[in-house]
Amino acid sequence: MAIVNMKKMHLLGLKREKEKILKVLQKTGIVEVIDIVEDEVSEDAKELNGEVQRSYVNQELNRELIDLENKLSNLKFGIDFLKPYVKPTNPLIHGKPNIKKDELQELLAKENSILESLQAVFDLDKEISQLKTKKSKLITQIEMLSPWRSLDIPLEQLGETGRTTFIAAVMPRKSKAELDKRIADEGLLAEITTLGESKDDVYTLVIYHKEHREPMEKLFKEYSVNLQDFGSLKGTPKELILAAENEIKDIDKEQENIKDKSKKLSDNIQNFEILYDYYTVEKDRKSAFLKVMDTDKTFSMQAWLPEEHEELVKSQISKVTDTVYMEFSEPSEEDDIPVLLSNPKLVEPFEVVTELYSLPDPRGLDPNLYMAPFFFVFFGMMLSDAGYGIIMCLLAGYALQKFKLAGTGKKFTALVFLCGVSTVIWGAIFGGWFGDLLGLKPLWINPLDNPLSVLILSFIMGIVQIYAGIILNAYKNIRAGKIVDALMDQGLWLVLLTGLLMFAMPELATVGKYMAIFGAAGLILTQGRSQKNIIKKFTSGVLSLYDITGYLSDILSYSRLLALGLTTGVIATVINTMAKTVSGSIIGYIVMALIIVGGHVFNLAINVLGAYVHSSRLQYIEFFGKFYDSGGRAFDPLKVKTTYVNLEDI
Amino acid sequence: MSLTLGQVLALFGAALAVGLPGIGSARGVGIVGESAAGLVTEDPGKFGQALILQALPGTQGIYGFLAGFLTIQKIGLLAGNLVDITPYQGWLIFASCMPIAIVGFLSAIYQGRVAAAGIGIVSKRPEEVAKGITFSAMVETYAVLALLATILMLFGINI
Repeated sequence: MAIVNMKKMHLLGLKREKEKILKVLQKTGIVEVIDIVEDEVSEDAKELNGEVQRSYVNQELNRELIDLENKLSNLKFGIDFLKPYVKPTNPLIHGKPNIKKDELQELLAKENSILESLQAVFDLDKEISQLKTKKSKLITQIEMLSPWRSLDIPLEQLGETGRTTFIAAVMPRKSKAELDKRIADEGLLAEITTLGESKDDVYTLVIYHKEHREPMEKLFKEYSVNLQDFGSLKGTPKELILAAENEIKDIDKEQENIKDKSKKLSDNIQNFEILYDYYTVEKDRKSAFLKVMDTDKTFSMQAWLPEEHEELVKSQISKVTDTVYMEFSEPSEEDDIPVLLSNPKLVEPFEVVTELYSLPDPRGLDPNLYMAPFFFVFFGMMLSDAGYGIIMCLLAGYALQKFKLAGTGKKFTALVFLCGVSTVIWGAIFGGWFGDLLGLKPLWINPLDNPLSVLILSFIMGIVQIYAGIILNAYKNIRAGKIVDALMDQGLWLVLLTGLLMFAMPELATVGKYMAIFGAAGLILTQGRSQKNIIKKFTSGVLSLYDITGYLSDILSYSRLLALGLTTGVIATVINTMAKTVSGSIIGYIVMALIIVGGHVFNLAINVLGAYVHSSRLQYIEFFGKFYDSGGRAFDPLKVKTTYVNLEDI
Repeated sequence: MSLTLGQVLALFGAALAVGLPGIGSARGVGIVGESAAGLVTEDPGKFGQALILQALPGTQGIYGFLAGFLTIQKIGLLAGNLVDITPYQGWLIFASCMPIAIVGFLSAIYQGRVAAAGIGIVSKRPEEVAKGITFSAMVETYAVLALLATILMLFGINI
């Protein structure tokens, strides 16, 4: 159990069989290829003549990988483009479709025609974006022209005639009247006709005699009049708007057309998906090639695999070739071993909690087995409502039955289920069934009646977990052969803490006193043993006693078990009380039902979150802090990893 | 109905216990909400994770409400007949409301700031959101302790 022992595989094979061997390993899916190229090239390659050749091989491989990447991103684009046009199927319920080997072969044979339809998708996309730009251009044109709608002169005829000048101008509303007045006062031959108005501006046609051009232009400047330039537009604004509107209609029709075409193409989506998965698998394998050393005729690779699968891998490889040399060795001191956890079925869901923190150090302890019972108990105690527990169990149980979950999702759902069970148990103990809705008597005690007893129970739980943490740390030391450290660092603390606890109980007080004194004295004498100077030895010994405050605050921290349990219960009771006050008439009963359902759903959601967060926290800070070495790297084997379909056999 | 000074003090305590942490939580949740909205603009798929972080500073309001509820239950307001309370007892009840009122108010705001910083974790490394939640839960510890102190004090007062 716990952290799976890894072995290192050294494999030497013929270069022409490389593809075959890696394919087998990928199908087995339990081997993580180690990158040995990186270091070797930098150190040895300079001396080797083969350097040129190697980089050439890698270039070739890199080019292949880039090709694959391009293909994959194109396929992905096609899939995303067509997705809105097919009926969505939920992979959680139906699972991924299975694709047999011959189906895949058939598909690969007609790959070109599939890529053609992918090209068609690209063409459609291009058309869509062209139409979009065209449409937005037309819309701006309509917006620009609409204030000029009542201008009945074709735009190209604006400008100069023999004696006069026609111009379209926009001016602030205020300026118009003043401008009119100035023209009349100064006796200019000019006329301003209002064509349209907006909130602040008026749109006008200005006609003036050519001889008065200069004074007119001066006036324009003075009253901030903007001359409108229509560019190369031809025809009256009305006609132009109508034409643009018609064009937009055509574009809309065209867009509908494209939608139909896309719908027709959407039959291809499954082909795209299969190819996408096939090439993903191919890419994963080719990437592994980069981690393998080549010589002229042979290749050598190293890989991690779980100890237990050694025979399986051997037999799988010997099935495809005889000309291969394999050796399995224990990891050495400086190896970066990947971490794979293996725990009993009931503990497995709790791995999520640890994974969210950090994986264990490959040479450390897997905390899940020890952490799981505490998490289970604490979660239930913090939620402590049997009704809520039943709801959690039902929801999670339904999801486990109905959905095809895998990996973290499955673990998490199972965790919800188990926590639900714990919640039911604690709910029954504390008498919480949707608060006081059912009025059932508690099996032990209602925390509202006697919070002190429950508080003491919380502290006892905390003491148990902290002891467990210290003992695990001692175990870790003993396993590493540091028995003296285990006795002095953890053993003496256990003596001191136990002494202090006994001191709190009257009948054991005397024994406890001497135990505590013994423990404290031992700590003062031993904790400074790494110091050389005798005074420093003594001072660090005394200072180490200061850690007692740490243990005290750790234990007090478990009071949240009571506090969060009370929160759930009291708020549930409040909801029930509120609901009862409105009952009486038919409408009253409906409102009551709404309050009860809505209120309890809210309370459940907020308190499940709280219970999860705080029971995780107790593990992370109070428990893991005592013994846990984190920082492992997850085992990431080369395997057939697909997104859309299951490729049974490739 | 004539009120005694004791009853007024007790009710005043309950009002503060509900009100102050409520304000604090509203601010805390608001702070996280602002960051979360920015994140969701960029990546709507992270709504769920952001919502969890936003909910965290909301608990102080609930704790305060809980304390206030227990107080008005204690003085018999819920049952409809106020218990006769001496000014001395009234002050005791008022004092026992203070831990959650004060700590709830301030810790909700600080927790909101930590959770808002956690939104940054969600945006860059969504797989590490649990760590952001844990940082935020560290702040909440003191609100939980304050609630506990309030409850224990309240239950310890004889009326």
